[in-house]
Formats: sequence, structure tokens, C-alpha cells
Amino acid sequence: MNIVTKNIQFGGEELTLTNQRVIYWKAEETLILSDIHIGKTAHFRQHGIAIPDTIFREDLERLRLLLEYFTPKKMIVVGDLFHANYNQNFEMFTNWLQQFEELDRVLIRGNHDRFSVGFYEHLGFQTEEQYECQSLIFVHDAEVIAPHKFYISGHTHPGVRIKMKGRQYLKLPCYQVTTQQLILPAFSLFTGLNTRSDFEDLKNYAFTDDAILEL
Amino acid sequence: MSKLEHTEGYRIVHNWMAEKGFAPFDFQLKAWKKYAQNYNGLVVAPTGFGKTYAMFLAILIDYLNHPTQYKKGIKLLWISPLRSLAKDLQKAMQTAIDEIGLDWQAAVRNGDTSTKVRRQQEHAMPDILLTTPETMHLLFSQKKNSRWFKNMRCVVVDEWHELLSTKRGVLTELVVVRLHAIAPKIKIWGVTATIGNLEQAKDVLIPFKNVKTAIITSKEKKKLKIISLLPDEVELLPWAGHLGGKLAKEVLKVIYKNNTTLVFTNTRGQAELWYQLLLDADADLAGQIAIHHGSIDAKLRNWIENAINEGILKVVVCTSSLDLGVDFKPVDCVVQVGSSKGIARFIQRAGRSGHSPYEVSKIYFVPTHTLELIEVSALKEAVKQRDVEAREPMVMTYDVLVQFLVTLAVGEGFAKNETFRMLQQTHAFSYLTKDEFEWAMQFITKGGATLHAYEEFHKVVFDEEKQLYVVKSRRISMLHRMNIGAIVSDAMMRVKYMKGGYVGMVEEYFISKLKVGMPFVLAGKVLEIVHSKDMTVFVKRSKAKKAITPSWNGGRLPLTSYLSHYLRLKLDDALQPSTRERELKFLNPLLATQNTHSHIPKSNEFLVEKIYAKEGCHLFFYPFEGRLVNEIMASLIAYRISKLQPITFSIAMNDYGFGLLSDQDIPVTEEDLSAILSKENLMDDVIASINASEVASRKFRDIAVIAGLVVQSQPGARKTNKSLQSSSSLIFKVLEDYEPNNLLLRQAYTEVFNEQLEEVRLRKAFERIGNSKLILKVAKGYTPLSFPIKVDSLRNTMSNEKLSDRVARLQKQQYKLIT
Repeated sequence: MNIVTKNIQFGGEELTLTNQRVIYWKAEETLILSDIHIGKTAHFRQHGIAIPDTIFREDLERLRLLLEYFTPKKMIVVGDLFHANYNQNFEMFTNWLQQFEELDRVLIRGNHDRFSVGFYEHLGFQTEEQYECQSLIFVHDAEVIAPHKFYISGHTHPGVRIKMKGRQYLKLPCYQVTTQQLILPAFSLFTGLNTRSDFEDLKNYAFTDDAILEL
Repeated sequence: MSKLEHTEGYRIVHNWMAEKGFAPFDFQLKAWKKYAQNYNGLVVAPTGFGKTYAMFLAILIDYLNHPTQYKKGIKLLWISPLRSLAKDLQKAMQTAIDEIGLDWQAAVRNGDTSTKVRRQQEHAMPDILLTTPETMHLLFSQKKNSRWFKNMRCVVVDEWHELLSTKRGVLTELVVVRLHAIAPKIKIWGVTATIGNLEQAKDVLIPFKNVKTAIITSKEKKKLKIISLLPDEVELLPWAGHLGGKLAKEVLKVIYKNNTTLVFTNTRGQAELWYQLLLDADADLAGQIAIHHGSIDAKLRNWIENAINEGILKVVVCTSSLDLGVDFKPVDCVVQVGSSKGIARFIQRAGRSGHSPYEVSKIYFVPTHTLELIEVSALKEAVKQRDVEAREPMVMTYDVLVQFLVTLAVGEGFAKNETFRMLQQTHAFSYLTKDEFEWAMQFITKGGATLHAYEEFHKVVFDEEKQLYVVKSRRISMLHRMNIGAIVSDAMMRVKYMKGGYVGMVEEYFISKLKVGMPFVLAGKVLEIVHSKDMTVFVKRSKAKKAITPSWNGGRLPLTSYLSHYLRLKLDDALQPSTRERELKFLNPLLATQNTHSHIPKSNEFLVEKIYAKEGCHLFFYPFEGRLVNEIMASLIAYRISKLQPITFSIAMNDYGFGLLSDQDIPVTEEDLSAILSKENLMDDVIASINASEVASRKFRDIAVIAGLVVQSQPGARKTNKSLQSSSSLIFKVLEDYEPNNLLLRQAYTEVFNEQLEEVRLRKAFERIGNSKLILKVAKGYTPLSFPIKVDSLRNTMSNEKLSDRVARLQKQQYKLIT
């Protein structure tokens, strides 16, 4: 796995964007990610849609490598940790989690996270609707933006569609950054891209396997 | 042979016809006799000659002669591709039954039938059931459905030519073999228009050995008159789709000369455009003009169809939505906007005017760009020869196979070996191997190849007690029933007025690009979005003068190979048109321009044009092989050039040729050309180029839906199943990465081959090119031949550059983000 990073300033904090769909916040030793959608492939299979499990296993493996690389103290998932109902993928995830016992885990509840607080606690996740740390506010989908506040969210699975010379098009996942908002790309690779955006002062940090570029 | 005429049944039916002032046509009589002699077969006749009566009355006569052989329930099953046909057919049949004095009941069952009526039918089926292939599969998905079909005597497949070369045709084949398994004595008849492969069409419909079959052809021929409308002067740069506007006035003259005119366009977008053009050209048409296409609300369409019959409308702008269907008596004129792209379709459309048997059908042709005039000239020649296209049946459609197996499992359950033998009876799956069938069984019972069996996957399970494969989960049954069928469209949203009333449907994709308040056109009305919820978008009338027309996907028809053959002949003539070729004479100045700026390829030459423009470097090729083959050739050539150096192309094509566009200079010299266009390693390179291009991923879209990998939301419905939403392109990628041997994935590639490639044709084309003199011209500006390709917005991409190299270049040039 090739980890490419880019540091940006957001809300007075220095954040490290990566091309592996996670942000590392060095000052707080925190790894930030969103929309893992654990259980999605099994959920599809339960409903008779045959999707191989490999994509889910590779998501977990990628996360393991990132946790080993950055060795954070804390991990914040800004929503949609799980996709739907309890299924076979959950067990694998629970076992997988055991290797990171020391890691503090915070989950911002997403629209897909419908289990009880106890269920998440059992997995070692502290659950919040909104979580503040230093000057940053973590939410799943930042619908209300208060003045002078800085929000980190997920939910939309952002991407960019780029028209190049010679009528060529590229579609890449990205981080969307405005003065007050930072939206994370979906961590899971079994997700689509939403290239629509209504932001005015938007910077996109799109990425590939070996680069991050500001658009 | 003379026996039938002496039977009671014949006498009754003959008298009934005589009372109405008819006498049977020869072919009808022949069909009745063959039916009485236990034949199966095809009835071939042009529209308007009573094909329906040929079959329907055959069964009535048989019943009248042998009433005791008929038992309760469905006796005749009538399958037709169109819902709208059924209603009028049912009326005609019921009238005949009542007037003859029988107690039979004919009834319709399809997607429009109310739940109440459906429940009644399930309790007591009518004697004649008129339905569609999809509804038959839905019936197969019901518990104990065999009982409804066990007393059936005959199944008639109407408009078989329309179904034959589609996956709906495969659905129909499966219906036939299953009915044959339930009622082995059932007779199978097809009703069809003339096509190039009638014998094959018959064998596909009736695949059983040891049965007598016949093809009954009517001698009656329809007279056809083709007139092209020419603009005042020839435009030197023919812009795709933009010429038509100038001809609106000419079309108006035609409309006023006739009673009722149908204006056929090739796409829904074009229909909206022409509706506006005609109204703008003559405001008096308001109230007498209507627009009819597949995205307009069914109620409105029904109203329009009735209004045509009552002669209220002067002109209806339509798409293939009115290709088939009941006879519209008042229609005496047809206008075709743009090339119909096929000979059969052209004849069919022309036949919508002058419907009664001995009238002449009149069709006016309106070119949308100047070069299309060559196509009319080619069409005229083809119609003269009555050289109608063959419709190739589809084979090895694993997506339909998977769907059918689950349908059976949801219904009565199925036994493995028996079902395998049944499948092998069909033409579509006659070469199905045991291994492939095993794969399909694994796919529906385990969710993938044996090595990764998933315990949570239990779509279809083996019921030990019944010894059958069944579906036990109600939710999976429900999801599956929603998904039955082989017609795949993009996710559609119902368009509804705020104050109530539906306008029609547009693609979700189109709506997602519009913002609230932005005006767009649908059903000839300018509308703006107020808000949207789930699969419904609420609109109000807009006062805006300018509005966007939705571009519905999939509206493009490729030139058939038959027509492209005639096209090349005519292009050869175009340089020295005979005095009788009005269209070709008209085109002469355009060809002169082509000659001055570049070159006109003679029949022994192959032209390649290189044009440098602001957007990059273009390379244009002109094989004149029709869009589908040109598309394959384009990826092949792009692939071969990319072997010279890593490069990214944007590819556009039309029926005449294709263009490769790159942001870099395309390094091709006259010497390279002969290698690039060589027939060496042809098939290997084609396979490699298809793998490198997006063509297969696009084909996978339909496959994923039919096989149940993508759950579709119904227009107007609430977005249920949100947690099961995904796109076919995402699933394509997942399978490519993790399950490359998935047969559905392989099917996407073979479909490219079977439907587009036509290996023989491709080899011939390359042989022709190999024997031609290759001419590379560097032109200063766009030429008449290249311009229509350049402006075509529907493009493919083909790249063998590393993503990182493209991204690196992106940072050095101007780009635009599209939101």
C-alpha cells in the first residue's frame, strides 16, 4: 500500500490528508475516517445479491495497515460504521478489532448506525451525535453550520468529475474542504461517488493510488 | 385438404365473416387448415391484413368442431410484446366470440391490470388470456401455477419479429418450453412481419422435434411511396440534428395536405424538439398536435391514441412508441425525421399510413443532416429489392437464465435435472453445458463459486421434503417479483404537477443535474422543478422561453448491416448520380467541398483524415460499416495506436465512420496506417481492445439488473431498499477485481461480440481495407464527412496511460470541474 500524504490547515489545526481515505491529526494522535459500511456485502448477499466478500476483507486490511503506520491513540469514525442489520461480517469485524485493544474509539452515529448504545459500547466505541475536540466538531452530515465553527463530516461519499483537454474525463474520490467544512471520502471501496456539490469556496483534494492533488 | 370447408366450425365462422362483408384471405384459410391438421408454425403478413384472425379464428373453428376436447380454464394464450395492443385485440376477439354466439371470455392480464381483476383471474382463468412475456414469468412465480396452463390448447406469440432478437425473446422461448412441459400437446404459433430469417424464427419459437411445422405467407404486398423533403440549399457542414428546423415549413405543407400525420423521430429528445418546431412554425396547430413517447404518462398516451382514432388530431409527433399497435384508421401520411437506420423499421413505419389492405402507404423523409440523404437513397434501393434484415436470436444469456431459475424457485420450485433438460430444449440455451448450469446453480444457492460459499446467502435453497429447489424468504420472493423482466431502463422518476396529475417520466440522472427552478421540457410543456421526493419529482408550469430537453439515454439506433451495404453502393454512385436520383444530385455540392478540402474515397480507397484543432488532435476513419461495427473498429484502432505510445483517446462514431481525439499529437504516418489497419492478429487485438475499453462495462448494466444484482426503484414509488442500492459499474468493478470468472461478467464481453462484432463482417471490412489504397489527408478544418462525428457528444474513452500520468498532465493543462 502506497500512502501519500498532504498537510492542510483547517480550523486552525494541521491535518494530514491521505490518499487512503483517512485523515491523521498528529497533534491529537487521532485517525479520522468515515463511511466504512461494515456488513454491506453480507447484507447484499442476505438479500440474494451475490457480492464477493473480498472487497470487505480488503477494506479491513487497509485499515489495519493504516493503524499500524500512524499508530494513533484514538480513532474517530464520523458515521456509517455499519451498513445495516447485524450479519456475518460483524463477527469478523469484532474479532479483527481485538488486535487494537488500546485504541480509543469514537463513533458519530450515521444514518446507517441504528444499534443501541450498549451494542457499540460492547465493541469499545463511545457513541456521539456530535463530538467536539479542540476547535473541531465531528458530525455525520453537517446540516447546520454555526458561525466560527469547523465541521468534519462524511455521509456524502464525495468525488470530482474533471473535464480535461481533448474531451477526456476523470472521476476521482476526494476530500471537500471549505473554510468551515471538511467532508471525508467514504472509506469503503464498495461505495459510489457523488460528484455534485453546491459549495462556493470549495477546494477539492482528489487522490489516486500515488498522488493527492488540489483542484 | 378440402375437408375443413365442409365442417360445421368453418361454416359458422365463414358465415360470420360474410355477414360483416369479409371473405377470408388465402393465407387465413391456409392457416386454419394447417391448424386443423395439428401443425405448429408462423403466419407472415404485412400489418392490416388480419393476421390476428388467421390464428384466433383457427382455434374457434377447432373448438366448434371438437367442443368436448376443450376443458375449463385457459384454452388460448396470446402473448404480445406491447401492453397497448392487448386491449383492442381483446375487444375484437370478444366481439367476434359474442357475435358467433360462444360463451368464451377473452381477458387481458399485464402490468396495467388491477389487483382485484388479477385475483379474480387466479380464481377462474378466462378462456383466452392476452398477456406479455413478463407477465407470464410473473405467473410462473406464483404458487401452484401449473394448474392454470394444463388445459391449454394453443399459444400464439404476436409480433414475434419484435421479440426475436431481444432478451424478451429468450423469456418467450422459456415460456414456450415450460408450457410444453405442462401441456405436451399444446400447439405453438407465431405471428410475424417479414424478416430475413423466417425459417430460423420458426425454429426458435418451436424448438421441438417430432412436431409438424409450417410457414404461411400472405401474397398480399403493401404499396409504398417514399418522398424526401429537401431544403432549399445544401449546407456545406452538415450538423447532426440541426438541419431539420429549416424543414419544419415543408413538413407543415405535408401535414395540411393530409388528414392525420404521424411524425416519427428516432429519440424522445428529438420528438420534444419537433413538437416545439411545428408549434412555433404554426400556432394554429395548438389543440390538433400531440406528442407521444415512452416517457409520457400512460393515461395521456391512451388519450392520444384514442384521439388519433377519432380523428381529433391532425399530427402526432412520436417515437418507436407508435411503431406497433392497433391500426389508426384516420392516419394517411407518415413523416420520418432522420434516418430510420433499418429497412424493416422503415417499412413498418410507412405501413402506419394507408392501413387498409389495398391503400398505398406514403412516407416523407426529413433529413436531420445533409449526409442522411444518402441513406434515403440507400433505403429506397433496399425497399425496391425488399431486402429486409434478419433478426438474430440471442443465445447464452446467463442473466435471463439466472432470473428464470429463481422465478421457478419462487413459484412451484424446480428439480435440477428436469430443468436442465428443459433449458436445453430452447434455442437460447441449446449449447448450455453441465458446468455452466452448475455455475448458475451455485450462483443462486451459494452466492458465488464453490470455494467461497457464504452461509448468509440463501436465495434459493433445496427443500429436502419436496426434493425441489425453492425460495423460502418472503422478502427475496418480493424483491425478485419486482425484478422480473428483461426491459432495463435507467432509474426513472415520475413527473407530477404540484396541483396533481402526472406528466410522464424522466431519468433520475437528468433530474439530479437540475436545480430547483430550472426549466425543462417534457410532453411538449415547459416545466420547472419545485421539489422532489423519493422517485417522484413535483413540477409546475414555467414561463421560461428557453428550456433544457432531457436527453434520455439509449435512444440511438445503429444502422443495420443490410442498410450499410446499400449505403456504400450509393456513396459510390454519389459522384456520378443518375438523373433519377434526386437525393444524390442534391448532395453534389457537399461532396465537391469534401473533395476540395480533403478527398472523396472511391470504392477502392480508404480515407483517413487528420485534423488539428484547439481541443487536440483528431484522426477520422470512414469504414461505412454502421455505428456498432464502427465502435468496435474504433477501439481496435485506438488500441493499436496506443501500442506505439501510451495515449488516451476520446472516441466518437456514427454510422459512417469514427474519430479518435487526443490532447496530444497522434503519432501516425501514412506508413503506420497499413500496420494499424492490417488484418494480422485481428481477433486477438479486438479482444484486447474490448478488454481495455468501456464497452463491456456498459453492456453489463442490463445484465446486472436482469440477473438481480442491481435493485431498481420503480418510478413514483417510495425509495425502499435504500440499503441495497448500488450501481452496475461498481459491481462490474468488484467482479472484475475479485471474481473474474463470473459468467455474468463474461456475458458482458460475449454480448459485445455477438451483437456488435459480427466477426465475418469485420474480417471482410479489413480485407476490403487491405485491398484499398490508404489515403491520409491532413485537413485544415473540419470536412463534411468529419464534422458530424466531431460534434457527436456520446463518447467512449480508451486509455492505456497510467492514471498517475494522466493526473500529472492534468495539473499542467486547463481543466474544468463538473458538478
